[in-house]
Amino acid sequence: MTGDSRKYVLVVDDEPDVRSYLRSALEDAGFLVRTACDGLEALDSIRSNPPDLISLDLVMPRHSGAKLCRELRKDRSLSKIPVLIVTGHARDEMGRTDFEELTMSGPGVYLEKPVHPDSYVAAVCKLLGIEGPAVPGSDESDDLRQSLDQALSGAGRDALQRALDALRKK
Amino acid sequence: MSETAQSELHNLLARQLFELVPFNVAVIDREFRVVAANRNFEDYFGEWRGRRCYEAYKNSDQRCARCQAEATFADGRVRVSDETGIDRHGRTCHYVLHLAPLQDAEGTVQYLIEMTSDLTETLRWRREYDLFFERVPCYVLVVDREYRVVRANEKFRRTFGDTEGKHCYELCKRRTKPCSQCPAALTFEDGGEHVSNQVGVHQDGSPAHYVVTSSPLGRGGSGVAHVIEMATDISEVRRLEEQLRRAEDLYESLVRNSATGILAVDRQGNARIMNRAAHDLLNWRAKQPPSAARLREMLPPAFFGGDADNGWSLDLPEATVRAAGGEEVPARFSAVNLKSRGKKLGRAAFLQDLREIKQLEQEKLEAERLGAVGQTVAGLAHTIKNLLMGLEGGMYIVDGGLRRGDAARIAEGWQILQRNFEKTTAMVKGFLSFAKGRLPELRPTDPNAIAGAVVDLYRDAAGRQGVELVLEAAPDIREAPLDSDGIETCLTNLVSNGIDAAMLRELGGGRVVVRTREAGNELIFEVADNGCGMDQEVKARVFTTFFTTKGGKGTGLGLLTTRKIVQEHGGRMEMDSAVDRGSVFRIRLPRHRLESIAAAAVQTRITPEEP
Repeated sequence: MTGDSRKYVLVVDDEPDVRSYLRSALEDAGFLVRTACDGLEALDSIRSNPPDLISLDLVMPRHSGAKLCRELRKDRSLSKIPVLIVTGHARDEMGRTDFEELTMSGPGVYLEKPVHPDSYVAAVCKLLGIEGPAVPGSDESDDLRQSLDQALSGAGRDALQRALDALRKK
Repeated sequence: MSETAQSELHNLLARQLFELVPFNVAVIDREFRVVAANRNFEDYFGEWRGRRCYEAYKNSDQRCARCQAEATFADGRVRVSDETGIDRHGRTCHYVLHLAPLQDAEGTVQYLIEMTSDLTETLRWRREYDLFFERVPCYVLVVDREYRVVRANEKFRRTFGDTEGKHCYELCKRRTKPCSQCPAALTFEDGGEHVSNQVGVHQDGSPAHYVVTSSPLGRGGSGVAHVIEMATDISEVRRLEEQLRRAEDLYESLVRNSATGILAVDRQGNARIMNRAAHDLLNWRAKQPPSAARLREMLPPAFFGGDADNGWSLDLPEATVRAAGGEEVPARFSAVNLKSRGKKLGRAAFLQDLREIKQLEQEKLEAERLGAVGQTVAGLAHTIKNLLMGLEGGMYIVDGGLRRGDAARIAEGWQILQRNFEKTTAMVKGFLSFAKGRLPELRPTDPNAIAGAVVDLYRDAAGRQGVELVLEAAPDIREAPLDSDGIETCLTNLVSNGIDAAMLRELGGGRVVVRTREAGNELIFEVADNGCGMDQEVKARVFTTFFTTKGGKGTGLGLLTTRKIVQEHGGRMEMDSAVDRGSVFRIRLPRHRLESIAAAAVQTRITPEEP
């Protein structure tokens, strides 16, 4: 990708290490990246220079990702910006309500932490409707890793059973 | 008797009888002149000599309108009449006049003999008697042998109506036959006086209760001819008695069936009332309540003290009583003095069995703990995910750096890896102290000393962040059984949160206050800051496992650990916060619970499962 065609992604996360990580992954894939540490900072950044996509953590101090989403939806010019939710709270007490509200109210793409850099970049590309770089890790073993990951994050007895089944099939 | 003797007797009689008879005797002639009179007459009516009868008897100068003497002179018959005259003192007097002709040998009546006897007193008596009979405030009636009412007083007639020709049983009880238990019948039989209780019927049909006294009244040839019956209506007394009995029954049944154990002792301390619940609670199987000495072994000592105080009462929310078998039973124990019109009767104790509540409390604690474990597992998973994310990121960045030979990038990634390794270590430590943490050991401790130590420890660190840390300790705080390490951990957590929040003030002037105070038998620690405060979202999650608003700095375990320690002290946490104004975290420790937890320390406790 060159010059003007480069897409601009805003990474919002309260953890500096996560921000560095996601920035590196996206920059390596040729995106322009800016970061924000909470919803308020993100809103300023979005208003002054609207990004092509927002990568958003849900649970943050001060101004949560959920709040930010609600505000974006109210603003016609900003409501079209695709949002990729990257959260560790999709299924627990802290994040479930927000998560369900956001994913149920429209087509969204979300990733549950921890995210693999390749699948992260792939998800960003998919949301932007562009061809992503070749994903070297997207072989069979990576699929297994994904499905184990999904199953384990449910953390219940059924989920464990599903994870075991997945391993056995292999 | 010889003729001489006969004539002698005659003479004696003629001379003396006249004076001896207990009557006023006078003799009048056909002209109504008093020609002779005895001393009684003179004493009664005064001077008679030279006076006519109407002058002597009635102090009148005219003959009487219906002159009895005239009639007897005419027909020679004996007459008796009631008369009213004037006695020698000029007072009206009443007397019976008995008038008889004195005949000479030829049968002619030249003189009349008049015998009078005084009725004034008798009449007065009679009036008094009538008044008494009529007005006495009880029912009086006279019955004959057939139980026919001969006479009844005004009160009786007013209550039972006209008595004419009626039987007493008809009037009093609306019966058609004599009663089976009749006091009058007994009096007729033995001539004695009898008293009995009778139930009659009021005119409105309601039952009337009487005490009836029957006495004989006059005896004829065939024994007692009449009986006077006097009856007092005691229906009102009966009604009150009945009310009293009902009230007694009610209270007795309330006391008997109360689920609260009730025990009343007399002034000597002997149990007088002991309801079923008290029997059960104290496992007292004997029917006789325990003696004073025995009670002293069973009930809290405070029940036997504080006598002088009139308004004495006692409330021990968590006391221990000793049941008959020696078993110690946790109970809520309260007591009051029993008094009647200012006079002390004894004491009453109320016992509420807390065994079941204690059991439920334990179960609830257990459930809460298990709930916390569940939450902890969920939170733990999340924290690990975050750590993995950090490690994944660090590795990715190092990896890229290595591939491109970019030293700066390798260093950046390496730092991320280091930081996440440190975080992992901190998290594991914090988690272990939360999950495994030793049980609190409660020892008498000065609460202000702990608060002071925490403030001293953090004052400089806070100052370096531009935050003022202040201690406001109430001077009257008593010692309390506390786990000083535990409470110190709590205050440290709250103070460090407070400093973090106060640091975020945009204007500076951050301030954190640690307060101790005493309120309603609760020991209170309070940490207040004037920092950024919390919005609804954060408030709702503040006690959630691993929830942190401090980004990478916090483990999310501080408040959770704090709450756990507070709960282990039997206390609870409160929080109040407003965005941009600050937050207050409050630890409330009920003193009676601290005491009972300290006392129960030797007993079995739940040991935390290994994580």
